Parts: sequence; C-alpha cells; structure tokens
Amino acid sequence: MLTCREMSELGSDIIDGQLGLRTRLAVFMHMHKCSRCSLYIEQLKVTSEVLQQTSLNGQSVDPQAILEKLNKPRE
Amino acid sequence: MDEEQGLLKRLREGDTSAFEAIIKQHHAFLVAMAVPLVGPQLADDVAQETWLKAMAAINGFEGRSKLRTWLARIAINEAHALTRKGKREVSLDSWGSDPGSPIASRFNEQGAWDVLPAQWHHDTPEELLSQEELQECIRKHLHKLPDDQQSVVIMRELAGLDYAEIAQALGLLEGNIRVLLHRGRQRMHAMLNHFEEVGTC
Ligand SMILES: [Zn+2]
Repeated sequence: MLTCREMSELGSDIIDGQLGLRTRLAVFMHMHKCSRCSLYIEQLKVTSEVLQQTSLNGQSVDPQAILEKLNKPRE
Repeated sequence: MDEEQGLLKRLREGDTSAFEAIIKQHHAFLVAMAVPLVGPQLADDVAQETWLKAMAAINGFEGRSKLRTWLARIAINEAHALTRKGKREVSLDSWGSDPGSPIASRFNEQGAWDVLPAQWHHDTPEELLSQEELQECIRKHLHKLPDDQQSVVIMRELAGLDYAEIAQALGLLEGNIRVLLHRGRQRMHAMLNHFEEVGTC
C-alpha cells in the first residue's frame, strides 16, 4: 500500500500520466479510498493549469521601443 | 486561446498593433526564460533576437502548439547561438538538487495526513485567475522559487516545452526536471492554498 506521503511525492507523475502500470494501479486503489489525497492531487492539477495560463508582468515592457530596434538596420 | 487566434489573424492581415500586443504579453516571459541560459546581461538580447526571428517567420506559425511554446523554442535556439560564441556567463552546476518536500511536516510518522488539505472556495483555474490579486501573488511567488525550480516551472508550465527539451536546454537529466517541476508545483500549490484559506497573498 502507498502511504499518503508517498502519494504526495508521486503527485506530478500522477497528473502528467508518467507512471507505469503497477504504480498506476496502486495509486488508483489509494485514491479510491482516500479523499484527502484525491483532493491534494486534484488541487495540484489545478495549480499546474493555473500556471499554464499565467503571464509574467508586461507592465514595464515598451513594445514600440522593441519594434523600433527590430526595424533598425543592423550595425 | 481565442484571444491569441484573434491577434494572429490581425497580424497576418498586416496590423502591427497586434504584434505590439504579442510583445507586451510575452516579452517578460522570454527574458525570464533566457536568464538561466545566457545570464541576466544577455537575456534581453535573446528576447530581442527572438522577436526578430518571430516577426520574419510568423506566417509559417500554424498554431499546432501554443504561440508561447513556439516563441520559447526560438529563444532557446537564439540562446544557444549566443553561448556558442562563448558568451555564456552563468553556471548551473548547483542546479537540480532536491530540497525535499515542502509539505513534509503535514504527515505523521506513519505517512498519513496530519494537517488535512483544505477545500478551496474557487476550484477551477478560471475562477482562481479571475482574482486580480491572486495573479499578482502568483507572479510574486514564482519569482521567490529557487532558481532551478523557477526555470523548470516557466519552461514546462508557461512555455509548454516537453521534459526532454527542458533537460537539454538546462543540461540536466529528465529525472531532475521532474523533481524540480514537482517541488515548484508543490510550493505554488501551498501559495494558492494559503490564498484560498486566508484570502490574502
Ligand atoms: Zn492518502
């Protein structure tokens, strides 16, 4: 049996589908019985999706200045 | 993604303001991605070169990947072109070690949950991201991650690159990439969890 601590360590491999068949089965059995780990793994997945949709702050970026540099003939 | 399609369509129709919007959206991301590859001094040059290549090639972008993934691949090539000229100034020797689980203390000796995971008020990415303050908090904590975790999170989650590409770009093993990504996600999860429990960053 996998412990909850072990489940938390496998978290990213679980959400990324990187596990072999045997571990996948053990994970499935654990999740079926453990709502805590199910919640943690689900939240880890949401965290990953949130990060995928995150943009870094472009407030100080001046696109016109960048475009001007691009259009300048190179020395 | 609809917004991205719209921008690309306008760009193909010759609307330069669409290119400005794309630069504004992704420039900081390109710089952050380039820093570990070429150092902070040259990261901006890499981003600049990326825009030059992107502008020339944008009509060939077929949208099979996210625009950000396509840009990230160009940036990695540009960074390599620079480092081949011997300009690499960063050392990643200390990268890749596992600092251990940030939630180790939440389990008892038997490995069961001691401090239970809490239910969140918002449980979809869309609901979470609708909070302006949370977006700010995510950016702040992303920068607070250890450099190696931050880089892998940016390359995997924001850029959408695959493990092999990231491993090659950073000169690490895929196994290291997996561990760093997991630790980075766990720390960002703890941040979201705190925000959901307490309501502030
Ligand atoms: Zn469990």
